[in-house]
Amino acid sequence: MSNLNSTSKTAVGRKTSGLDKVLRVALYTVLIVVAAFYLMPFIVMLITSLKDVEEIRTGTLLSLPASLHFDSWSKAWSSACTGSSCGGISPYFMNSFQIVLPAVAISTLVGAINGYVISLWKFRGSDFFFAAMLVGCFIPFQVILLPMAQTLGWLGIANTTSGLVFVHVVYGVAFTTLFFRNFYQSIPGELVKAARLDGAGFFTIFYRIILPVSTPIIVVTVIWQFTQIWNDFLFGVAFSGFDTQPVTVALNNLVNTSFGGKEYNVDMAAAIIAALPTLAVYVFAGKYFVRGLTAGAVKG
Amino acid sequence: MANLVIDNVKKRYGETEILKGINISIKAGEFLILVGPSGCGKSTLMNSIAGLEDVTEGRILIADKDVTYTSPKDRDIAMVFQSYALYPNMTVEQNISFGLEMRKVPKAERDVEVQRVAELLQISHLLDRKPAQLSGGQRQRVAMGRALARRPQLYLFDEPLSNLDAKLRVEMRTEIKKLHKKLGTTIVYVTHDQIEAMTLADRIAVMKDGQVQQLGTPQEIYDNPANLFVAGFMGSPAMNFIPTKVVEQDGVPMLELATSTTVALPFPKPEALKDYVGKTILLGLRPEMITEPQPHKEGQPFVTTTDVEVEVTEPMGADTMILTRVNDAEINCRSNPMYPADAGSIIKMMFDTSKAVAFDKETGRRLDL
Repeated sequence: MSNLNSTSKTAVGRKTSGLDKVLRVALYTVLIVVAAFYLMPFIVMLITSLKDVEEIRTGTLLSLPASLHFDSWSKAWSSACTGSSCGGISPYFMNSFQIVLPAVAISTLVGAINGYVISLWKFRGSDFFFAAMLVGCFIPFQVILLPMAQTLGWLGIANTTSGLVFVHVVYGVAFTTLFFRNFYQSIPGELVKAARLDGAGFFTIFYRIILPVSTPIIVVTVIWQFTQIWNDFLFGVAFSGFDTQPVTVALNNLVNTSFGGKEYNVDMAAAIIAALPTLAVYVFAGKYFVRGLTAGAVKG
Repeated sequence: MANLVIDNVKKRYGETEILKGINISIKAGEFLILVGPSGCGKSTLMNSIAGLEDVTEGRILIADKDVTYTSPKDRDIAMVFQSYALYPNMTVEQNISFGLEMRKVPKAERDVEVQRVAELLQISHLLDRKPAQLSGGQRQRVAMGRALARRPQLYLFDEPLSNLDAKLRVEMRTEIKKLHKKLGTTIVYVTHDQIEAMTLADRIAVMKDGQVQQLGTPQEIYDNPANLFVAGFMGSPAMNFIPTKVVEQDGVPMLELATSTTVALPFPKPEALKDYVGKTILLGLRPEMITEPQPHKEGQPFVTTTDVEVEVTEPMGADTMILTRVNDAEINCRSNPMYPADAGSIIKMMFDTSKAVAFDKETGRRLDL
């Protein structure tokens, strides 16, 4: 974004030549095409969810609904069958929140403290510790399935919400640590030294001085973790019990459960509902997300 | 106020020795400057005094109390950092009172103290601002205010002026000096700027390679440098080092100076050069000791007038620096701007060797101490 701004600023200074105009038109054309390409699936989902089954079967994919039907939404929410139970996806939607909220909060907090220690309280081997932590970012989900199942069993939290929270925290800490470490790397170490001389201890410095300047990276981390954990399917399907399934698993069950004809409109409505929370997070915090990714530096 | 004793302090990181046995002791109320090129260990020494880094060997005493293993907050020290290290999320007022708050000083007392410091530093009108809204000079003041508020026993300044522009630097330098005179505090001040060192210090410790090369008053260090490094580091423009052959005239060692003619300069302590007759030494002569011929100095001992060829002149307003060449070494002379000296011309210059010093050419050791 900043790139576009700076080019347009310099363009004001000199006379816009014909070539510049052509390039500008080409640029916007490309952007519009790309935007349309990304929006298309969502538009198809939305209009399909508003049609009735008959219209879906006879009409084309892109044709607009003749009349708006919202009953597929209420069915997806409260009465569609996911496997053997037929209560819609709403209970699982709540399950997801019960998993996501604590998992995001805990992994963000742990990542913040890790990052704080690794970049501002360097100890012998802290770089190695960080490198080891980084490896965690590259471990594929599948690799930890079996050992994690065993661990959850030992801990007695297999098939529970706490178990899923635990898995997501463990898996997420590598990423959150990386985020916070990189952000805190730009905070001058002298800040901590000054606070130590002022008489502040480890947690006082963290709480009074470091956390208040961490808003951008907290937002980035929360968005990242929220999206990752909310959208997770594999851990959800592997480690959840019947009552603790997250919405992604329920969505899969809903789509795969059919009596008679396939109700695409219900499938689409359920999929959009399942995606709404992450969408909302982006809409509300997206500004900070971009700012946090690009800025990072604390001035003063 | 407290005295400070640094007793044989050594610091090693693995194999490399950063501090190789530092011994410095200053009286209460003294202003000590640690000066040296980057990497000489001055900041490490500073951090060791503050307790932010552990020392490998030796002791540090503040107010006659051994604090070598005391944590930073219990040493009763305040420090002003190069980057100021103001807490970006707090207002100026909160920045200044944070240290007091951490020491559980009641709110009412904190407010009084903040007011006192703010008035002292003339930042009362800035108390509600955040550091990001301040100029460099204002931040500098706030950083000092934060240090002053706690009334610690010892103040540490880590290159506090190096982030300011030239004009402000000179202003703040004077401010710091006034403040020290007014408050009579003990200060240890790190800088790589030898002018700051000269102007501020009661005593200067010149450091290089983790060792104190010389500890003394600014004038001692300027007039009587312990070795070639100190002589070259202190003073601007730097001292001239002229390779000179020692010749004997009437049994007295003299220094041969070849320009367009050759003359022999007298040396204040000729006996120190006895062993060097026939050999080449380095003659150290400050630029201000090589001037245009000054009538009132004519005929004084140690004053010699000879011809030199002007290579370049650099007018500085009050003086003009004349660059010339003697014994095949470039030297700087400080002359009156009125004295005619065109590049390429041959002019008369007066060499005053009454304060000249001599160094061994190989080791840089001072020969005439």
